[in-house]
Amino acid sequence: MIYLAIIVGCILGAILGINAPMISYTYSTYLAIAVVAALDSVFGGISSVLKKNFDLKIFLSGFFVNSILSILLTILGQKLNVDIYLATIFVFISRMFNNLTIIRRYYVEKWSEQLEHLRKIKAETDTNQSNNS
Amino acid sequence: MEKKIQLLIIFVLMSMGLTYGICVQMKTVSKNGTTVNLTSTQSKLKDEILRISEKYDNLFAELEEVEKQLEVERQNSTSNNSNLATLEENIKQRNLALGLTEVTGTGVKIILNDSNITTATNPFINVSDLLVHDGDLMNVVNELFNAGAEAVSINGQRVISTTAIECDGNVIKVNGTKIGAPFEINAIGYPELLSGGLSRQGGTLELLEARGLSINLSKQNSIKIPKYAGAIKFNYATNIENY
Repeated sequence: MIYLAIIVGCILGAILGINAPMISYTYSTYLAIAVVAALDSVFGGISSVLKKNFDLKIFLSGFFVNSILSILLTILGQKLNVDIYLATIFVFISRMFNNLTIIRRYYVEKWSEQLEHLRKIKAETDTNQSNNS
Repeated sequence: MEKKIQLLIIFVLMSMGLTYGICVQMKTVSKNGTTVNLTSTQSKLKDEILRISEKYDNLFAELEEVEKQLEVERQNSTSNNSNLATLEENIKQRNLALGLTEVTGTGVKIILNDSNITTATNPFINVSDLLVHDGDLMNVVNELFNAGAEAVSINGQRVISTTAIECDGNVIKVNGTKIGAPFEINAIGYPELLSGGLSRQGGTLELLEARGLSINLSKQNSIKIPKYAGAIKFNYATNIENY
């Protein structure tokens, strides 16, 4: 159900986004940072689901507050002539990789367990068959 | 159950927002063509140019808006005063003469383009002769004014009293704006006179044609010429009083 909701949301967003008017170039930097921040919280959410400590409030607040904060920091950086957005991107991307690592480990372990399980079943049936014959 | 629906709605909205942002961002970036390895200085300069041109466009739109407003205000304030109305008429006449209004009328349209002869087919030809130069445009414009043209534009740039036509590498600058081939010159005046002046024997167009340039001259019943888009500012010339 949730997967369906996410897919419907993605399709709706893509249709709207393709038909939406272009934003001006000045603001595209801010939008890019906000997108990266949102993606970071999405991956964080997925990894927390896998670790079974998912909390909707934390996820939602992270999604929006991180985006807004990163935009504000970018604006501050432009006012101070420091490329703060580089640091923002660095932090978000490194966190995204951490979360991706957790997700990958989870699925690889699950998969190898399943393989192991299958092998055991096969070995048992083999021994049973040899005993019978 | 209600909690679940709430959760679903939240997820739909969030994923929608995220993909919407990504799509808009991708569209903006692909429109502005930020691609292949620019060095950081280059990309910074490009960034700056894009920003400034955007700002310029915005300001230009604002200027047009304000000018329209001014026009309306002027008409409102002069509508019930005959003295002011004549002054208003005067302003209109002066603006027409200065080239600050969009005008329409009969005239001619000339499309000048670089020659399609190449050095590959004719190795003894001078490459420079095959291109339209700033001087050629100047000659054509001069001929048009000589034949009584009242308004002339080159690729949408109005030619006024302070217009300069200059060479700028591989493009030509008119009014400080870069334009490139093909050049479309519009002129308002008596069509027979304008086209006759241009295409007379030994005239400007014949000389250009001899070099192999492609020329397309046509008389027009109705031609539209845009107004001069800049500000006319005199810093050194002042009126002599009591003339």
